[in-house]
Amino acid sequence: MNAFSMYVARESGLHRLHPLTKGSLSLLLLVTGLLLPGNWTSYFLVLFVILPVAYWGKILRNFIGIVWGISLPFILSVVIIQSLFWGKGTPIFEFWIIAPKQEGAIFALVSVGRIILVMAGFILFAMTTRPDTLMISLKQVGVPSSLAYIIVTTLQIIPRFQSKAFTILDAQRSRGLETEGNILTRARALVPIILPLVLSSLVEVEERAIAIEARGFNSKKEETSLIEIPDTNGQIILRRVFIVITILTIIARVTWQLLK
Amino acid sequence: MAIVEVINVTYKYPFTDSPALQNINLQVDEGEFVAIIGPNGAGKSTLCYTLAGFVPHFFKGELTGTVEVAGNESSQSTLHEWVLNVGLAFQNPFNQISGAKYTVFEELAFGLENIGVPRDEMRARVEGALELTGISDLADRSPYSLSGGQQQRVALASILVMQPKVLVLDEPTSQMDPIGTREVFGVIRKMAGQGMTVILVEHKVEWIAQFADRVIALKDGQILLDGSPPEVLTSPILEGSGFGISRYTSVARRAQELGLWKKDRLPVTLDEAVEGFSLALTLRHSLWSQRGALPSPTGGGEQPS
Repeated sequence: MNAFSMYVARESGLHRLHPLTKGSLSLLLLVTGLLLPGNWTSYFLVLFVILPVAYWGKILRNFIGIVWGISLPFILSVVIIQSLFWGKGTPIFEFWIIAPKQEGAIFALVSVGRIILVMAGFILFAMTTRPDTLMISLKQVGVPSSLAYIIVTTLQIIPRFQSKAFTILDAQRSRGLETEGNILTRARALVPIILPLVLSSLVEVEERAIAIEARGFNSKKEETSLIEIPDTNGQIILRRVFIVITILTIIARVTWQLLK
Repeated sequence: MAIVEVINVTYKYPFTDSPALQNINLQVDEGEFVAIIGPNGAGKSTLCYTLAGFVPHFFKGELTGTVEVAGNESSQSTLHEWVLNVGLAFQNPFNQISGAKYTVFEELAFGLENIGVPRDEMRARVEGALELTGISDLADRSPYSLSGGQQQRVALASILVMQPKVLVLDEPTSQMDPIGTREVFGVIRKMAGQGMTVILVEHKVEWIAQFADRVIALKDGQILLDGSPPEVLTSPILEGSGFGISRYTSVARRAQELGLWKKDRLPVTLDEAVEGFSLALTLRHSLWSQRGALPSPTGGGEQPS
């Protein structure tokens, strides 16, 4: 895996799909998973759509690892907070002041499903789409190039941020910062790591802006592209279908909400 | 013929009191290789930004005076037009990579896509720039998987591919190890050799002494010295005010004080130093042989110490 992008190169049908086809599929999954009624829709979509598609893309093993790694902290915090601090309800068990409620636990599980769905949809897309092809195809459908650039570089930002965070972590450790031990010690160690991370990223933004301006980024000329992205009529139709279903779902949900 | 003409330029960054550049007057001929030296805060980077049009188009603030390249004035042009006149590369190679491209080849094409070069011409120009910077073998690698020297050559190539009339380089080797420095200087030398106008900010004076046609010393936003490399780099004015001075110059100056340096001009590079000290040894040797007290021949002049 390239250290600076989530993209994993494989020879698969999923990889060969037009970026917008994959993008509209991800969007469809997110919207239906979050808006359709039923507590377990998102689990259903993850199990019966996302995982098979990831298998088709030959990235299943990597994919599960990454989704799990990124969602785990969210999942833990949601489960702990929701089950412990749910106001009224049937307690599962009681121990001193700890009394997790059944309703809270169910709510937590539903939220976890949604978190996993969002993460998985996004990561599946990022892992099988080359960032540059995404940028080109976004521009082709009329997205302004600065917005396309932002979207594409954001997709790559997680691994880059991560590696920078580790560098800072090592630097601070070598100056004697205590990063291991109980929760309190760890929490205290966050400030001297996050602060330099954010500040250095801000400095980096200016340099990067200069660098891309030096290469005519804001040029008003009609842009050309080095790579051609293969597209098929079938995919164009498929994309339209995805988008239509997405929009219909949103409309259905909004009307349902209004009528209630 | 002067291709770059800077007339009476004074510039103040926003929210600052003192100007970063003061009354800069500068002419650079077509094909000339000019090096700029100066202590920290002398205004070297600001001068680069001014030449490359980032002052006043990117950094606001007060600019008076004019910068002209090939008869066009920077303040009358837009930044994206100006980058075709003056190309700028700077220190950190990592931050010069667009982050939106997957291979070095595509990275080089990024600028050409922006300015709307047709696909066939784009390929030809990218291949030319890869060849020129000696990175053809890296074309299919990810720009992020390269070493510093390689990344910096990618950054140089992605500017060269735009075919600017003047190349401005702001300390391109300051974050390089010796190997990276040699790689990057190899490219700069080649560019200068092909008649490109190059303006280079650099601390490594031994490199400058070998390759530059002219050296400008900048201090407190003003031009302190402007002349040939030996003239400027060995000037006593530079002593003790934060300029990078070659260790060979420092040693020879000390030797001169002790009467051991016999040439008029102080050395900047190792070769010049060896030559000068050999001369001193030969002179002393002949003095001794006249007196009849002949020490054993040393031949020490050939060995750099």
